[in-house]
Amino acid sequence: MEGQRKGSFNVMEGSEANGKRWCGSVVRTCDLVLRLLAFLLTLVAAVVIGADKQTAVVPIKLVESMPPLYVPVAAKWHYLSAFVYFVGANAMACTYATLSLLLSLGKRRKWMETVITVLDTLMVALLFSSNGAAIAVGLLGLQGNSHVHWNKVCNMFGKFCDQVAASLFISLLGSITFLLLLLLPQLFRLKQTT
Amino acid sequence: MASTDKPVDTEYSRPTSSAQAPAGVDLFKFDVILRFLLFAASLVSVVVIVTGNETKYIPLPRPAKFRYSPAFVYFVAALSVAGLYSIITTLASLYAIKNPALKAKLLLYFILWDALILGIIASATGTAGGVAYVGLKGNKHVNWNKICNVYDKFCRHVGASVAVALFGSIVTVLLIWISAYSLHSRVPK
Repeated sequence: MEGQRKGSFNVMEGSEANGKRWCGSVVRTCDLVLRLLAFLLTLVAAVVIGADKQTAVVPIKLVESMPPLYVPVAAKWHYLSAFVYFVGANAMACTYATLSLLLSLGKRRKWMETVITVLDTLMVALLFSSNGAAIAVGLLGLQGNSHVHWNKVCNMFGKFCDQVAASLFISLLGSITFLLLLLLPQLFRLKQTT
Repeated sequence: MASTDKPVDTEYSRPTSSAQAPAGVDLFKFDVILRFLLFAASLVSVVVIVTGNETKYIPLPRPAKFRYSPAFVYFVAALSVAGLYSIITTLASLYAIKNPALKAKLLLYFILWDALILGIIASATGTAGGVAYVGLKGNKHVNWNKICNVYDKFCRHVGASVAVALFGSIVTVLLIWISAYSLHSRVPK
């Protein structure tokens, strides 16, 4: 009877172990796919805003009697510090996504999982804060602020603002991907403990 | 005879589902302390920025309030949500210390909700920080003048509030780390 009981435990344990192994490989594939997606999204966001430049001609009236002077004014992304921070954060996240992708493709050791979880949280925080800053400053450019006399600029630089908006949206998707990357292994670990 | 009243570990030598998972590291007391710190940071941030109203006479009275910028309004709203969340999870953590059976599942919920709140707090910090930086330095390319030379008390309040919110987001990162570490240590080898 003891042998029978031991045998039944073996069967149960075997199928449980197989189930966990299958679940583990699904989670691992999802992890790699999400990392690739995160790499692509942050790369595209950084490039779209980095290649953003627009020149507009602004009439400036110096003296009332003379016709206005037409001065070309450029809008570049690095004129605003929030966008510089945004590009820097997306570049860092992109680099991290590549490195962790390469690390995950190899054999997964326990210390690697700890390091990846630690860095993943930092990346989530960094990306979300850079998105917030860029969206706030973009909104200032779109609407201006009458209380402090900051005029809106998006009426003059429409294409620039559109490209910035597209880049912000893509980066937001990238931050959500990083969030999912943080949460997915923890779900799997909970299944492993029970 | 002696073998029948021995504990059953000779028969049940392989670990079964929940009976012999490693107890893991128990960092719940540290967790409660950090959550209380998060609550304190959120409360301080909100109070400091809300009480930062200042009126300067140049020569007409021109006030500076946090309500005048949508970025600061979002900052106050997000940190209020974070403060409420921290109260709820502090109570949940205290409850888990009393009922140790819930710990593993609660760890996963903590990681999930902490990650969402980290996103919210970090974005609020970034938003308010970005606008405050423009107010501090100005931007000559878009003709946005700096205002902190005029409104010094308002700027001090906003700066302090953003600094405390940054501390709050660091506390949230630590919370996620210790929950992930506790969960990781419970995985059987």
